[in-house]
Amino acid sequence: MKEMTVRVSRFDPENDTEPHFETYTVSVHEGARVLHVLHVIHDTLDPTLSYRYCCEAGQCGSCSLRVNGEPVLACMQEAKDGMTIEPLNLPVVRDLTVEMEDVLARLAPFPAREEAGLPTKEEIEAMKPLRDCIECLSCVSECPAVDVASFLGPTAMCQEMRIALDPRADQNRIRNAIEEGLFTCTTCQRCRDVCPKNIEIPGKAIEKLREIANRQGLTLPRHQDVARLVEDTGRSVDRTKPTFLEQVPEVIEPDGPVRGEVGFFVGCMYNGRLPETALDMIEVMKRNGIRLIIPHDQVCCGSPLIRTGQTRILPALKKRNIEAFTRRGITTVMTMCAGCGSTLKNDYDTPYTIKDVTEILTEYGIEPPAALDIRATYHDPCHLLRGQGISREPRELLKTVVREFVEMPSRCCGAGGGVRSGLPDQAAALGRQRDDEIKKTHADVVVTVCPFCEFHIADSTDRPVKNICTLLLEGYREKDRKKGVKKESE
Amino acid sequence: MHADDVVNCHVLVIGSGGAGARAALEASRYGKTVLVSRTLTGKGGCTTMAEGGYNAVLRKLDSCPMHVEDTLRGGAFLNDPALVDVLVHEAPDRMADLIAWGAVFDVTDDREIAQRPFGGQRFPRTCYAGDRTGHEMMATLVERLRGSGVRQLQDTAVIELLKDGNRVTGAAMLDRDGDLIICYADATVLATGGGTRIYDISTNCAAGTGDGFALGYRAGAELIDMEMVQFHPTGAVYPYDARGRLITEAVRGEGGLLLNRDGERFMTRYDPERMELSTRDVVSRSIATEILEGRGTPHGGVYLDVSHLPARTIEERLPVMLEQFLAFGVDIRKEPMEVAPTAHHIMGGLRITPEGQTTLPGLFACGEVTGGVHGANRLGGNALADTQVFGKRAGESAGKEAVRGGTVARSRIEELRAHLDGYYGGTTPPAEIVGRLRLAMWDGAGIFRTEKSLVETGRVIDELAALTPRAAGSQNLLWCRTVENMIVLSRLIVKGALLRPESRGAHVRKDILQDWTPDRSPYMHTYQSLSRAGIETREVQV
Ligand SMILES: Cc1cc2nc3c(=O)[nH]c(=O)nc-3n(C[C@H](O)[C@H](O)[C@H](O)COP(=O)(O)OP(=O)(O)OC[C@H]3O[C@@H](n4cnc5c(N)ncnc54)[C@H](O)[C@@H]3O)c2cc1C
Ligand code: SF4
Ligand code: SF4
Ligand code: FES
Repeated sequence: MKEMTVRVSRFDPENDTEPHFETYTVSVHEGARVLHVLHVIHDTLDPTLSYRYCCEAGQCGSCSLRVNGEPVLACMQEAKDGMTIEPLNLPVVRDLTVEMEDVLARLAPFPAREEAGLPTKEEIEAMKPLRDCIECLSCVSECPAVDVASFLGPTAMCQEMRIALDPRADQNRIRNAIEEGLFTCTTCQRCRDVCPKNIEIPGKAIEKLREIANRQGLTLPRHQDVARLVEDTGRSVDRTKPTFLEQVPEVIEPDGPVRGEVGFFVGCMYNGRLPETALDMIEVMKRNGIRLIIPHDQVCCGSPLIRTGQTRILPALKKRNIEAFTRRGITTVMTMCAGCGSTLKNDYDTPYTIKDVTEILTEYGIEPPAALDIRATYHDPCHLLRGQGISREPRELLKTVVREFVEMPSRCCGAGGGVRSGLPDQAAALGRQRDDEIKKTHADVVVTVCPFCEFHIADSTDRPVKNICTLLLEGYREKDRKKGVKKESE
Repeated sequence: MHADDVVNCHVLVIGSGGAGARAALEASRYGKTVLVSRTLTGKGGCTTMAEGGYNAVLRKLDSCPMHVEDTLRGGAFLNDPALVDVLVHEAPDRMADLIAWGAVFDVTDDREIAQRPFGGQRFPRTCYAGDRTGHEMMATLVERLRGSGVRQLQDTAVIELLKDGNRVTGAAMLDRDGDLIICYADATVLATGGGTRIYDISTNCAAGTGDGFALGYRAGAELIDMEMVQFHPTGAVYPYDARGRLITEAVRGEGGLLLNRDGERFMTRYDPERMELSTRDVVSRSIATEILEGRGTPHGGVYLDVSHLPARTIEERLPVMLEQFLAFGVDIRKEPMEVAPTAHHIMGGLRITPEGQTTLPGLFACGEVTGGVHGANRLGGNALADTQVFGKRAGESAGKEAVRGGTVARSRIEELRAHLDGYYGGTTPPAEIVGRLRLAMWDGAGIFRTEKSLVETGRVIDELAALTPRAAGSQNLLWCRTVENMIVLSRLIVKGALLRPESRGAHVRKDILQDWTPDRSPYMHTYQSLSRAGIETREVQV
């Protein structure tokens, strides 16, 4: 037996206006799950504690709740001393019990076609991963799009895709899926992260449904414009000023001795909209001895097309991008756009390694910059945090260059998945939520590592939003300035 | 407690597991149908936990008579042959319904429903959806329910069947706030599932408290063979709080080996012919004996090993097992599991006709709450088939009942209300009563039984029955009522076990010597109702 003290969110609809925490100390067996801790509280300390469960084996999806802020199945998650237990982020009925019936009732019934016969083995295998869904609604409770848009949520998309894959369904439901909010998903991957069954809803359901919508001519007009642009120009943004690639040579040598060499994949946003930021990055690389090779024949990675289901010309883009780097014998390609990085890592089969700029800088180690006299917070780009699993590197780099670093909860800013272009109001609503969090941090500057986030958050807040490289460069300039001052005074 | 809510319908179905959901779908073709469940629809009950599969004769080389014979032999010839006949002949059609409604079962390269071998059967006739077969069935039924007109009352539990004279005319229930709801129905279907949660070690979900047995018994229905409790051979032994959790029979079906502490494949000594795939009662007793005789593992089980199988087979065929054990720090691709018997299934239950009619007019039943289909020991894969075959039949029979608009004596509801109020002044925390009950049942009415152990268990039950469970608030009323149900069920099991003076199937009386094999037993069903109890006998030709 072991003792543990836990905090549990309590809410009694008759007497409370909002939830509060109670602390309990209980004695449980080795290997106890969160659910067993709740049982002990219920059975020995407070029988009024309300929570749902049934199978106690991870199969019914009734017991989902949050432990230390993260959704889990209470019956599967090992209990830890000091944990905080809260209901899912859904309307609370009482204590840890939330309203699930409404969402579940709105999931699509199966439109069975009589006499359809058995699907083939391949068809069954395609449906199976989606059938693992236990409708625990963890994903729905965390989905940013559900929060601000009219969206039934990832579970509903899982169900629509399962129907779309089933040859026994007699109905083309793609218009229903669109009505349920297919285009509101920012592809932030939060749902995939919290799913106890590891169902990849954005990639395996939402993007695939968007492909079906595309084949039926139902892609949002603004998204179609982007696809046309890529097809015509190889780029997903139009040219409004000299691009990054127009301004730089193919090879950029470092200032001092060469410590390393990487290829650079610039991406459409840094190439066309924010070339200054990419130029800042070059200065940082030069200072740290890293040679950059920048093939000028690279094109859009295809991310804006994949996320919106317009994959027809994708193979051509992939081929060009792979060849552009392999032809030059490059073994490591660096991205600084989280979206491109995630796409090259997850949607491509590249013969070279892909690394984010923060990984490269961390691996090689950088000359310490001066600490700027500012308070900074960091926004996790979805495609960096969840798309590439990177959270430590940018924070550590950031801490070297500012006086004070403050965390804020990581959440999608609303820019991704074609939402900023396709549904700007929704994107703006999510942007405002980011601004609320930013305000709470009292930070002087918001730092991020994704041009989409950078661009979008800048629209939503009055704080400056900067790429980590820009800040590092400012740190180096400050360092040089101080040195200069020192020299002068000597 | 607020003023009662009243719901009227043609058919009331109690329980949304496989049997209840199927019954509601069928009943709704005849009139307004209400489906009430203790949990959210489809999320409660044991169906969703079923991993292994569903038995149905689908191939030319297989045959219905063979399935019948396997079922009777497995059931130690205590089964009701008419029910077995229906089960076997209709299981394929009900499987076809599920497939037509979109169920995603595994199929072969030749586009046939895949089947695997299961214990006690001479043909691999168990259809499956990986190792989440029950979940697949529930997902399909719930999808279907969404598109049907069935009204769902969720997080709501029936606490008593209501009657008009001898006829069941609906039920009283508590919603999640502890408010009373009264439902009048022309016909009522009981589909509350099993109840092995009355044992210390059990595979059942939290709803497996046997409410339906108690509801039926209190209303005056007759129950048969309540002593027949199946102990599944392979339950988890670690961690403590997850003890009893089922390790699906599919593990043995796929080639898993049972080994004792010394690495000996001990089934050679108990059933050299069928080995690990012998019937559950035999394997359970073999494992229990190994443990009792000191050849168990440190955690008090035996080893179940699949590490000799290709990792891919394990990943594809047993994904849920793999995932669950990984969560507890065991990689079954590389190390053996530790297992021990666990209380799994209640073969006894309400006596029904092949139409699902109980001994009470107006009351139908299907699924695990019924008796007779599985006899003295259920074959793996037959229960899921049972839910669909008899779910449909009970739903249809209930639907076909005449419309009459029932009434209930007001006084009955007042009595019930007073009884519930009594819990506020209760003497004992419900969990304490349940904890003692579970240990007593495991020790005295478990795998091995004697008259002495049963009488002693009966004494503990009486002691516990004299206590009043205490409610701290209105949402505790249900739990208090459930404790009373568990006591009723325990009594039925102990009494049934005392009524049967023989060892048969899952029921082992160590204190009785007998010189007959099950097919030559002079005994048939034990029966218990408010008005009578006993054991049926028959003439056996010598
Ligand atoms: C872990 C496990 C694995 C199994 N694997 C297999 C297998 O592979 N193959 C096989 O054939 N069989 C298997 N079985 C057995 C089989 O799953 C069950 O016998 C069968 O599913 C029972 O179905 P049911 O519909 O009768 O009851 P359940 O599915 O148990 O449903 C009971 C329903 O009644 C509701 N309920 C209970 N009490 C009340 C009340 N008072 N008021 C309102 N509602 C109530 C519950 O909420 C639930 O909805 C397994 C059992 C378990 C526990
Ligand atoms: S990817 Fe993000 S926005 Fe899209 S469904 Fe999942 S959680 Fe919601
Ligand atoms: S997709 Fe995953 S997280 Fe969402 S409801 Fe299904 S099982 Fe739960
Ligand atoms: S209780 Fe069923 S998933 Fe946890």
